[in-house]
Amino acid sequence: MGYVWSWQVIVQSFPMLLAGAGLTIRLTCIAVSMGILIGTFFGIGRVAKNALIFSLSSIYVNFIRGTPLLVQLYLVYFGIPALIGIPIPPLLAAYITMSVNSGAYVAEIVRAGIQSISRGQMEAARSLGMTYGQAMLHVILPQTFKRIIPPLGNEFIALLKDSSIVSVIALEELVRKGYLISGRTFRSFEIWTAVAFMFLFMTLPITQLVNYTERKLKKGD
Amino acid sequence: MIETRDLHKHFGRLHVLKGVSVQINQGEVICVIGPSGSGKSTFLRCLNFLEEPTSGQIFIDGQEITNKNETDINKVRAEVGMVFQQFNLFPHMNVLDNICLAPVKVRKLPRAEAEERAYALLKKVGLLDKAKAFPDQLSGGQQQRVAIARALAMQPKVMLFDEPTSALDPEMIKEVLDVMKDLGREGMTMVVVTHEMGFAREVADRVLFMDDGMILEENSPSEIFTSPANERTKMFLSKIL
Repeated sequence: MGYVWSWQVIVQSFPMLLAGAGLTIRLTCIAVSMGILIGTFFGIGRVAKNALIFSLSSIYVNFIRGTPLLVQLYLVYFGIPALIGIPIPPLLAAYITMSVNSGAYVAEIVRAGIQSISRGQMEAARSLGMTYGQAMLHVILPQTFKRIIPPLGNEFIALLKDSSIVSVIALEELVRKGYLISGRTFRSFEIWTAVAFMFLFMTLPITQLVNYTERKLKKGD
Repeated sequence: MIETRDLHKHFGRLHVLKGVSVQINQGEVICVIGPSGSGKSTFLRCLNFLEEPTSGQIFIDGQEITNKNETDINKVRAEVGMVFQQFNLFPHMNVLDNICLAPVKVRKLPRAEAEERAYALLKKVGLLDKAKAFPDQLSGGQQQRVAIARALAMQPKVMLFDEPTSALDPEMIKEVLDVMKDLGREGMTMVVVTHEMGFAREVADRVLFMDDGMILEENSPSEIFTSPANERTKMFLSKIL
């Protein structure tokens, strides 16, 4: 093994990698925010008594969770443009795919969260004359959101890592940058080690935060 | 005030209520007693439609609430207060917000007015100093008194109590029963499912004995406790008194 570790190549490529990490974070933040919006909506749909709303929500959740993210990305980036005849720019395709993907996972988190709230809460709210919607909004969901902060943190971490998949449609996030740099410098070991550690630096603080809120919430319950 | 006619309730194949007909008058305090699984709670929960009866009719204030086309159940529930065995306070809100939520959201009462009402009720249940406390900072008895205040804040015409003291430590039962006694004396119409025979004897105008989904006997407390007519009432009372 005559391999000599080069710090220099890491230092030189660091600004590029950092730019890649920037896109990774941006993608993840937007996808998770949209995912929470979409997921709340469909999570409520998954506990709905209305058969149509329940079915539609279930189809969405099962389709997304039962197919690879890569296939979903290809479907949005290649498939839909072929159907409608209008190209979708890679960044937009990435935002759409990841938001819709995240939404399905968040929907299941929200559903489980809602179902973990004791039935008596809904009954108490309804017995006071509140509508189903009022009871959801003022009584059930505030308690749900407090309870699902830890799993949402985990979803954020999972999505941050999965976002590397958009490198296949030439979006220069962290993994794509690593690929480009290592191809140019032939210093694969340094570059991929650096990429791995940059992911770690992004996920570790979130893991810590999740653990911290988990401990705090346990005390609160 | 409340009338039920031939109320039936099935849970799947389980026949829980087998034709309950009862009339409850304005200002009456009714205690419903009977063994576990006799359908008392189900009967009570049918009265505000937390359980939908399989068949039969319920009239509240002359309005048939079992007629779903013509009745807005939310409006009916606003007039029927309910107190649960497990209190069911909203844990993410302090006591004041627990009480004010429904009057503000349902009755559209201005917040200041709702708070004024809430403070008056807290005073009545003896918890004026707990307005800013959260439910998990209160004892069971205190939580249940807040739950009563919360229901009263809607100024209901009827109050339903579903075993309100069954989840309480013995030393806290009295403080809740005292609040309920006061309510009864003030003329509130009340239906109370309870195992507190002392309370039933002292406060109830009428006692209903339920077993196996039917009302087997109804009479004044003095009659039912001293000379029960039905065999099963006798058996039940002999076990618990």
